[in-house]
Order: sequence, then structure tokens, then C-alpha cells
Amino acid sequence: MHPFTEHFKKGKSRIYMVDARVKLVFAILLLGLILSYKGILFPAFVILISILTCIRLRLPLKVFLLRFSEPLFIASILILLKFFFTGKNAMFMINFASFTITGYSDGLKEGLMIACRILAATSIVALLGFSTIFTELIAALSWLRVPKSFTEILIFAYRYIFVLFEEALVIYNAQKNRLGYSNIRRGLSSFGTLSGSLVLKAFEHNQNLTISMIQRGYDGNIPMLRHKPFKPPEVILSALVIAILAFIWKI
Amino acid sequence: MKTIYCFFLVSVFWFLFSGDAYAMHISEGILPFNWAALWFIVAVPFVAYGLYRLKKVSAIDISFKPLVGLMSAVVFIISCMPIPVPTAGTCSHPCGTGISGILLGPAISVLIAAVALLIQALFLAHGGLSTWGADVVSMGVVGSFAGFFTFKVLRLLKINMAVAAFFAGLFADWATYATTSLELTTGIRGDSAFMPLFIKILVAFIPTQLPLGIVEGAMTSGMIMLLYKKRPDLLVKMGVIKSGEAL
Repeated sequence: MHPFTEHFKKGKSRIYMVDARVKLVFAILLLGLILSYKGILFPAFVILISILTCIRLRLPLKVFLLRFSEPLFIASILILLKFFFTGKNAMFMINFASFTITGYSDGLKEGLMIACRILAATSIVALLGFSTIFTELIAALSWLRVPKSFTEILIFAYRYIFVLFEEALVIYNAQKNRLGYSNIRRGLSSFGTLSGSLVLKAFEHNQNLTISMIQRGYDGNIPMLRHKPFKPPEVILSALVIAILAFIWKI
Repeated sequence: MKTIYCFFLVSVFWFLFSGDAYAMHISEGILPFNWAALWFIVAVPFVAYGLYRLKKVSAIDISFKPLVGLMSAVVFIISCMPIPVPTAGTCSHPCGTGISGILLGPAISVLIAAVALLIQALFLAHGGLSTWGADVVSMGVVGSFAGFFTFKVLRLLKINMAVAAFFAGLFADWATYATTSLELTTGIRGDSAFMPLFIKILVAFIPTQLPLGIVEGAMTSGMIMLLYKKRPDLLVKMGVIKSGEAL
């Protein structure tokens, strides 16, 4: 499944239309608020708002679940890690064989706090990714003074992720059909060959790409998207939402 | 006894939550603001040096910038590939910076990791924007330099290329995971003591990262040997081998 917005974008929500620079700055400020908050309420509020917005964007459920599976897994592990391993106030003690398992109330509280922070921060960045096309996001990064060479590498990488991914899939299926992954030893060898073939393909594509780009006037620099002027209502509304969230953060 | 207890509980967690394990990347939001900012500040000079090297080389070779972009795509794909880890009953992902460190040098490899991590953070929720600095330090800086120096030192000691590449991949992976554990401990420990939690997190990573390091080593070795057999000219061009060593 394609991870990029342009491949699963549905509906005509206004969030898609908002300037990528506004969305990026908004997300960074909100991330700052989430990370510096010591509690559960504010991140929980952000998670709720983000989920409602995701529903409004009519995202495919599979994309949504896939995006949140990793943070959910890590958040769960951290809750358990903090609950059983850190803390001073014992909540319960269970004797199991020769071990004593202790759960700490302060550890659980801290674990829940970190878990909420993870899910809130992830939902904000995911929302940014869901609602913004890659090239617009790169243009927004260049507006934020991210070095041009860095954004150029991002563009090249993005252009070739799909090409190389398709090629990796073809090689993988061919190996699998020939029992290339039937045991660990063969699997390791096949995976090494697959990765090596990808590097070889990358070098081959690079030669062809450079020749074709030079023929089209490439001189070592790629022109970036031109920014449209900011729309004042978007900026004012975003500033207002951030101010309200900052107020909630403070109380 | 305490270590056995930790290992037992961690094993229970792994059984309960057997799914894809993304141990290489620190997830969005785990690190509090001050730690996220600190790792960002540590990562930036390395990325800046990578950009400086990129500018210098691409001024001579116009094809170098697209090549770095393509290698970023390769690292992105490799670090998204699920590898079954039999001991943990999960899937995990290699980091791929060992091989990019060997082929393009550690400075450029840091840049490649930074690009791959940014795309993963924005579009896969794999890693994060706030933890980008920490992830660049562990996967990009430590992984690339560990892979590069291991390979160089072993080659200087006249060790076989396949073996040198294997250990480069292995140490790049393990060094990345040790750094990730350190970053996680500092970020989540709160008022707890540093060392006990650090050991617990290291132990928690062992079921996936120990075998995954071996997988990464085998993968790096396989890649280098494939390039050596099929395109030794590329290895000569990248300075991995001397022209006399080519087949």
C-alpha cells in the first residue's frame, strides 16, 4: 500500500487546501506544546481532535490503523515497562514461582503520561502527512530555510522509492517462488542478494537519470515550487487555534 | 535474580505484543522537549558536514546528488523491510546505514539516514519529527561511523572482504541499538536511576536486535560481495577497494 497522501486522498476537506507552510508551522508549535506538557489531559484532547479530523478526511481504515500500529505498540510497552520497573509506591505484589512481580502506581501514571504524549505527537505528525502532498511539504521545508541540497535529496529519494520498491517486490517474489526463503540460511543469502540488487539498480538508474537530466538542462540544482502568497484567513485562524490550545495547555 | 526477573517480564511483553517491532527508531513523542532538542542539536553538525561533503563532491561529479537520493531511497526501503526474528516471534527492520557508510562514506551516510528518517517520520509514523535528531544520531551517526570504521580496520588487518562487511553490518546494527537504548533511557527515566533502566531497556531489545544484527551483517556481506562480483568498478570508484583488488 502506498504511504503517501496523493495515493489515498479522498473527499474535498478544506484541510487539504490549507497552505503547507501554515500546516507545518502549526504542527511544529503543537508538537512543542505536547512535548513540554507534564500530564495526560492536553495530549488526550489533542488525540481526540486528531482522530475526529482523520475521520473527516475519510482516510481508509487500513491506512489509519497501519500508521498508528507502531506508536500504539511502543506506548503499550512503555506503560508496562514503567508500571513494573520504575516507581516507589507499590500498588500490588504477586508472587509467581520464585519471582515477585510488583506494580507501581507512580510508574503507571508516568507510563500513561508518556503513552499519551507519544499518541498525541504521532497523531499530529500523521495528520500533517495525511493532509499534505509530499512536494508541497518539501516546498514548505525549503521556506523554513532547510538547506536546498537536503530538499533536493528528498525529491530524488521520493521519486525513486516507488520505482525501487516495485523492483524489490519483483525480485522478492521471484526468490520466494524459487524457495529462496525456505530456511534461515537461504533466507539470509536471498535477502543479501535482494539488497545488493537494489544497490546495483540504484547505480544503474543514477546513470540513466543523470544523462536524461543533463539533456534537459540540469546543472546540479533543481528548481523548487514557487510559494503562493499566504491567505490571511488561514494564518489568522491557525494562530487563533494555537492560542486556544496554548491556553488549554496552561490550565 | 533481578536480571532473570527482568528477562522473564520482558519475554512476557514480547509474547503479548508480538507484531512488527520497530526497535531502530525512537517513536514520535517519547522524548520530552529538552532531550528532543538536545539530540537535534547533536545531530545538526553531522548533517551539516554531510551537506558540505555532498556540495564538494557534486561540484566535481554532477551525478553524485541523484546517487545520494537513490541511496536514500534504498536505505528507506531496506529499513522498511520486515525481517522475521525467530527468537522474538516478531518482525524487525535492518537499518542499512552500515552499507551506505561503507559505500559512500560516513558523512554522506548520515545525510542519507537523515533523509530516509524524515520521509519515514512524515509518512509512515516510523520514528518522528521530534525524535528525528535522536534517530539521526543513533542510526545515522553511530550506525554509519561504526560500520565504516569496522570495515576499514578489518580490511587494514587483511581480513576477507565478506567477513569485514559482515562485522561492519553487525556492529553498525548493535551500535545503533545501544545508542537507541541510551537515548530512550535518558528520555523516559524521570526520577529513576539511569543504569538499572538502561540495562532493562538493553535486555528488552536483545530478543530482536541480537539476531537482527546477524541478519544485518549477512545482508551487508551479501551486498558487498554481489557488488564485488557484478560491478567491481563501482567499488573502485567509491574507494571501497583498490583497482588491483578488482576481479
